[in-house]
Formats: sequence, structure tokens, C-alpha cells
Amino acid sequence: MQTGAPGDADAAEQRSGGSRLAAVRVPLAVLGAVVVAIALVYAVGGRDAGLVTQSIVTGLLLGGVYALVSIGLTLIFGVLGIVNFAQGSMLSLSMFLVYSLVTSVGLPVYVATLVAIPLMFLFGVLVQSLLLNRLTATGNHDGPLLVTLGLSLLIVNVLLMVYGGRPLRVPGSVSGSVTVLGAIASYERLIAFAGALLVAVLVTLLLRRTSFGLSIRAVSSNTQGAALVGVNVRRVYALTFGIGAACVAVAGGLLAPILSLTPSVGEQFTILAFVIVVLGGLGSVTGATVGGLVIGLVQTVGALYLPGTGSLVLVFAVFVLVLFFRPQGMFGAAR
Amino acid sequence: MPSRHGRQARQMKLTGVAALVLASTALAACGADDSGGGSRGGGGDGGDIVIGSVHPMTGALAGVGGLMNGGAELAVADINADGGIEALDGAQLALAEGDSQGKAEIGQSEAQRLISEGAVALVGTYQSDVTQNVAAVAERAGVPLVIDVAVDDAILEQGYQNTFRIQPDATSMGEAGADALVAMGEASDAPVDTVSYIHIEGSFGQSVFDAFQQQAESQGVEVAAEVTYDGTSFTDATTQVREAAAADPDAIVVTGYYPDALLIANAIDALAPDVDAVYGVANGGFDDGSFPADAGAGGEGLLSANYHYAATSDRAADIRTRFEEEYGKPMETAAMLSYQAVEVIAEALEAAGSDDPTAVRDAIAELELDDPLLAFDGPIIFDETGQNENATVIVMQIRGGKVEQVFPEEFKTADLVYPTE
Repeated sequence: MQTGAPGDADAAEQRSGGSRLAAVRVPLAVLGAVVVAIALVYAVGGRDAGLVTQSIVTGLLLGGVYALVSIGLTLIFGVLGIVNFAQGSMLSLSMFLVYSLVTSVGLPVYVATLVAIPLMFLFGVLVQSLLLNRLTATGNHDGPLLVTLGLSLLIVNVLLMVYGGRPLRVPGSVSGSVTVLGAIASYERLIAFAGALLVAVLVTLLLRRTSFGLSIRAVSSNTQGAALVGVNVRRVYALTFGIGAACVAVAGGLLAPILSLTPSVGEQFTILAFVIVVLGGLGSVTGATVGGLVIGLVQTVGALYLPGTGSLVLVFAVFVLVLFFRPQGMFGAAR
Repeated sequence: MPSRHGRQARQMKLTGVAALVLASTALAACGADDSGGGSRGGGGDGGDIVIGSVHPMTGALAGVGGLMNGGAELAVADINADGGIEALDGAQLALAEGDSQGKAEIGQSEAQRLISEGAVALVGTYQSDVTQNVAAVAERAGVPLVIDVAVDDAILEQGYQNTFRIQPDATSMGEAGADALVAMGEASDAPVDTVSYIHIEGSFGQSVFDAFQQQAESQGVEVAAEVTYDGTSFTDATTQVREAAAADPDAIVVTGYYPDALLIANAIDALAPDVDAVYGVANGGFDDGSFPADAGAGGEGLLSANYHYAATSDRAADIRTRFEEEYGKPMETAAMLSYQAVEVIAEALEAAGSDDPTAVRDAIAELELDDPLLAFDGPIIFDETGQNENATVIVMQIRGGKVEQVFPEEFKTADLVYPTE
């Protein structure tokens, strides 16, 4: 029995008795809270304005990266109900895939990313159809979780065997930076941010405007019902996991020029991605995007006052508050 | 109703997640013990003298752990090829490998396993927390531990009799780092008055920073800003560098690991702060052989005060060449320290004329080993706490895409450029 409703959280809210006003209330409240918090930091924060601007720009760009990782996860979590522990290691896998395409085939890094997308999609489809479908179909919840946990150990250790553990660097990308309102932003991070927004829009369009998106939403809200009206549930599961993996491929390709590659590099994103997915609302692509940006901002601007691990404390404080006042997440449908 | 049902199931699942993570960690630990037992080296039963090596062979630090294990392996092979331990009728050495997985409790159980399998001495372990636990095991068993890499002062502050450290500790690296910076500034007519310091959170970064600050302030240098970051979630250094630069310092000092150092170097390149020097102290990146290529043009001119293999020593150069032939990777300083640690133990076996751990321990304590493979102030001699008295740092600089030794004069392989650029 699936409960996530990707893409149609707004519609669900209208159905549940709210007005159109209710549909925009939450996003407006989130936006308002963010704007007020930023204004407070500028006004009474006691920090150099240039530094605050820099941290906001950095935070938004970082948030874009978080969003990218979370969009894939929210689909898999929301539609399949699978807690995908392999999300972080799949991110590492796509980064190393891009690394190999760049260093051995000689492709530019962003072209390599485009090549990696169908490969990771195929990987996701295979994982779901060969390893997970049988378990998901029986409604077993712990089985898929254990399988993804095992998969993540497998991926990390195979990467370790093939590439060794020394940090690697993807060579020859677009270097340089621009100045935005006195804050520095590197091209690579701007491209990653744009990529995140593009992926969010594409996935949203896919869910809302295509018949395949309709079947994903149908399977998500009622598996048995969807099967009764002729939706091939297993195929939808497999393709959804594939799309989730493809989103990770985009994230990996866009992150590869920014980070040092080690087999465990993706795993630092796993916990934050789960936080963002629950914060945004299960299965909500908009929620994952906004959640990613909010968490990025909280972490970076928060670091001005609580450096280091302190900023993570702030992130989890926000998480707990949202769970307390709005357990379904910012963009989740009320139930 | 159905949706409520689903929600409950999902909440149960989330609770299950936490339990499973714990369970998986425990499982991984058991698995490692089993496989470790299976892979024990040829030592122990063939009459060879077994030296136990504990390094992170899997996990995030597996890269450097593998190199360090390789360094120890090469040392054992060299000593065996050279006739083994002459005082013990040419007895051969054997290396028994342990995998700490980068975790303190696993390092501890691996050390116990190696000792129970007959190791007469241990080398390891790269991480301070793992080393703490291994040192405790070694002390209880009365088996000497020669630390190749582990920086925390606290390890030797326990009063252990069986633990020895070849590399300088955090405090002496921070102090020597401050002295070297002041000396370089004076020698170049660009005296250092203020610095900003960016360092990783935790005992490593904090202890180096504290020592640096104390020493710098005693020399009249002000630490204008201290900026810290969390090493586990660090993906962008722009804000930290900007915060450090906002204090308008003469130099920005950086302490952290390789990926952090690279992010910081990238951010410094982008922001181009007006400073005389960017200076790593006990920095895991700036003087690493692959850093110049990874950092590109932004790495040029970076300074780094660290313990380092002696680039001026022919013996070290020969070992590095053979290491690269054998393992296909350049031999970084950490691996050279592992090599050196095995040499210390072999030398002690010669001096003791016995493979009894207590006799080996006493011989290490009395040892004076000339011609160290690292750029140190003199022979390796351990003081009563077990610290190598002559361990020190030298200053490296990235010049023309290579890490060169630039300060002090006696270890120089290239001229210092200060202020940089």
C-alpha cells in the first residue's frame, strides 16, 4: 500500500477540502520564513554584509546540489516505498563512471554526464527488476532495505577495488568564476545549480504531463487499483527506479568536477538527502528542490554563527520543527 | 484509512532503518574479523619473526592505508633480502596485516588478533583515535607499538611504556609551523603580523591550532580569525575562505585533510585574497604528490609545513623508486614512515639479539638510528614518553607543478618564493 503522491501534492490538498489558497500557503510561508531569517541576519546578525551575501550564494548553490541528489531519492522513496540506502553509493558510482569516460575515452565532463545518464538509468532498471521487484511486490518492507544496504556496500567496495582509495580529480572542466552581488560563484557550481533546476522541471513535467507520469502517480497512490485498470506495476517500478538512478547520474556528473573522488564521497549526501526528502514531503519533486535549497542555506548561513558541526545541528533543528508542525513535510499532501 | 495504514508502516520502516544501520556496522565488524583471520600472512608458524601492521585497508582511508601497508611490506622484503636479522642467525621477518577499517574498535580487535598470532611488535595506524586503542592493547600485552602516523599529543600522554612515535606530534608541528612562518617572513623582508587560521574540527585540527596560536602570539603574531569546518560535510570552502580573508591577514594558515585542502585551495584561487602566503600546517593535502596536478594553477606557490620524506637523501630516493615500480603509485610520506617504523623494529631486534617483545621494547627505547628517511633534525631517538626527539617539520612549496622542499636551507631542493606570486 503506497502513500506517496509524486507531483500531485497540490491536487491532493485541494481534494482534501483545502482551497486554492491552501495550495500556495505552504510555499509562501516557507519563502516568507527564509526571507525574514535572511533579513534578520543582515540587520542584526553583526556580520559583514559581503560575507553574508557570499554565504547565501554559496548556500543556494550547495542547496541545488542537495536538491539534485534528493529528487532521485524522493521518487524512489515516494513511489516504491523503498528506503534506498544505495543512493549515496550510486552517486559515487556515477561520479567514477564520469571519471572513467573523461580519462579513458577523453570526453569533456558534461558530455560524459550525458552518456552516464542512460547507463545509470539502465543500472537502476536492472537493480529494480532483478533484485527488488519480487520483494517490493510482496509488500515486504525490510527486504528491499537490506538489499539496498548490501548494494551500497558492494558498490563502494568494487569502486575501492577498481580505483583504489586515493582521492581522484576529474580533469579539464570549466574553470573560473563570476561575481554575483559581490559574492564569488564558480562556473562549475552555477552549472550544477542550473542542472538541478532543469532536472526538477523535467521530472515534474514527466509526472504531470505524460501518460507514463500518470501511471507512476496511479501506482503511487494505489498499487492494486492501478494494476486493476491495466497498469503494469512491475514495469512502472523498474522505470521509476531507473529515473531515480538517472537523476543521480546527473548529480554525479555535475558534482564530479567540484569534489575529490573517493569511493565513499557520495555517502555524505545520503543522510542529508533523507532529511530533505522527508522535509519536502515524500514523493514531492518540488518539495525536494525547495527542501534542498532551504537546507543548503541553513547549513551555510548557519555556519557563520555555529561553525563546523554546529551548522548541522541547525539543519536537524529545522527538520525536527517541520516534523513537529507539519509531519507530512512542506509539500506533502495532508492525510 | 489505507493511507494511515501506509504511514504507520513507513514510520516503522524509518525506525527499522536506525536499527539496521547499527546491525550492519556490527555485521561488518564480524565479517572483517573472519576474513582477517583467513588472510593472515605466512608468518607466525614458519619460524619467521612476525611484525603486525594495523592500517585502514578498507573504507574511506583505504588509499593511504594500502600505501602504508605497502611501505611496511617493502621494508620487510628489503631487510629479508639483506640477510634478515643477523643477530638471530639471519631470521626472516614476516608482515601480518591487520585492517582497522578506519574504526577504533576494529583496530583494537585487529591488534589483539595480531598479538595472539605471535606478533613481536606492531606498526600503525594513521588515525589518532585508532592508535589510542591499539596503544592500550599493546601496553596490556607488553608488545611494543611503533607509530608511523598519528599526530595527537594525547596518545603518549597516557604514560605508556610500549608506545613509540617517529613523527612529530600535533603540538610540536603547530609550534614549529609558527616558527618557520615567522622566520620565512623575516628572511624575505615581509614580516608576518597577523594570520587567519582555517582548520578542521576535532582534536587533530584543534591541537595543531592551539599550539600554533600560542607560539605565534609569543612571537608577536596575532591570530586575527579562527575559522573551523566539519570534515564530514564539507563540499564548499568559499564562505570559510572569505571569512578568513575578511580579517585582512598577512597569511592564511590551513590545517585539514586532502579533500578539504583541495576545496580550500580552489576557493582561495577564486577569491584571490591579498595575502603574502597560504600556508598549510600539518596539512594532508598541500605537500601530497598529486596535489599540484589536482589543484592546477591555483596550487602554485602554496606553502606547507609538515614532516616529509627526505628528498635530499639518496637512500630515500632509491626506496621511493622501487616502491613505485612495485605498487605503481608514488610513495607518499606516510608510506615512508611505515617503512621507517619497520626499520626501527628490525634495528631493535638486532640490538636485542632476541625476539622477545619485552627485549625488543627495551632495545627500541635505547635506540639511536642514524640516517632517517625523513627530513628530521637528527637520528631517531625516543625520549622517556616514547616521542622521537628529533622529529620536526620542514617547509615545502608547490613550484612549477611539483612539491619542492624550500626551508630550512639544509633540506632545500628549490628556492623559497615569499611572498608568493
